[in-house]
Amino acid sequence: MSDEAIPDLDPVIHAQARLRVTVALAALPDGDRITFPRLQSLLAMTAGNLSTHLRKLEDAGYVDVTKAYRRRTPVTYVALTETGRRAFTDYQAAVRALLDHPGLPEREEK
Amino acid sequence: MQSGLRVIEMGERDDDGVPLSAEASMELIERERRSVGRRLAVNQAPIFAVWGVTFLIGWGACYLAAPGGPRVLAVAAAVPIVVVLYAVAIAVPIVLGARAAKGVRGPSRLSGAMYGWAWALGFLALFAINTGLIRQGLAPATITMLWTGTAQLVTGLMYLAGGMLWRDRVHYALGVWMLVVAAGSVFAGMPGDFLVLALAGGGGFLLWSGLSLVTGGRR
Repeated sequence: MSDEAIPDLDPVIHAQARLRVTVALAALPDGDRITFPRLQSLLAMTAGNLSTHLRKLEDAGYVDVTKAYRRRTPVTYVALTETGRRAFTDYQAAVRALLDHPGLPEREEK
Repeated sequence: MQSGLRVIEMGERDDDGVPLSAEASMELIERERRSVGRRLAVNQAPIFAVWGVTFLIGWGACYLAAPGGPRVLAVAAAVPIVVVLYAVAIAVPIVLGARAAKGVRGPSRLSGAMYGWAWALGFLALFAINTGLIRQGLAPATITMLWTGTAQLVTGLMYLAGGMLWRDRVHYALGVWMLVVAAGSVFAGMPGDFLVLALAGGGGFLLWSGLSLVTGGRR
């Protein structure tokens, strides 16, 4: 097992919590955004946990977090960026390739 | 794949301390996609089912009470049945739609709101036009056929619009069927028009409810 390598799995997405966040955001229709509390309830994650993972996705440029005011109350909206959408597509392709060819030779790091 | 991406070993621990294999990752994607999709979309099956029951019982009661029909039910009993059933049937999609769209903003919310308003505007215009026509003097049998036929026409067109909006063939086909029912109800005459709505209309809704259940019809 240890000498078996896998195709590049984007480490930003390849973590249970961030993968769940990414799948949920990718499920939104194109151009839509979701509020932080609704996303939190969809994923059943704590606010702190969700914030931590959103920040990592945001730092990678995969997620766009915006603040708006509705009746003087701040509302946080979250959406997948174009880069994030593409990264998720690539990630899924990599996972699929891995499942189809479990014995892929190790890749050289560039 | 892309350069600059780190190669990580299978079974490497992620931030949660939980190792995630490719199989587990794929399973998680499928499971989450289903679970999130179910909650972000409106399940059409219960909506069609409620409308099916409303048509079957509501218009069935109208048929049973209509002059020229079996007259086994008083008109005073049939009218409240229709009103209550319609109130419930209108409320169900509004509640389900609001619950699914909660916290979501963007183009889909706009088209959804426009679709919802189209129902209200269509029926308001229908009410105005029919009331105006009736004031010009229409025979009682013509009046009921006018209501059943035109209401069904608007309903059919709205389902065609829904089919276009969500690129949903099941939705669109229901619209086509409702247009057939609209025309059929007028040709059936009075009180047969009520029976056409109850059986072909209500039965159609129930059939499409089953279809949505099988195809996972959501919008």
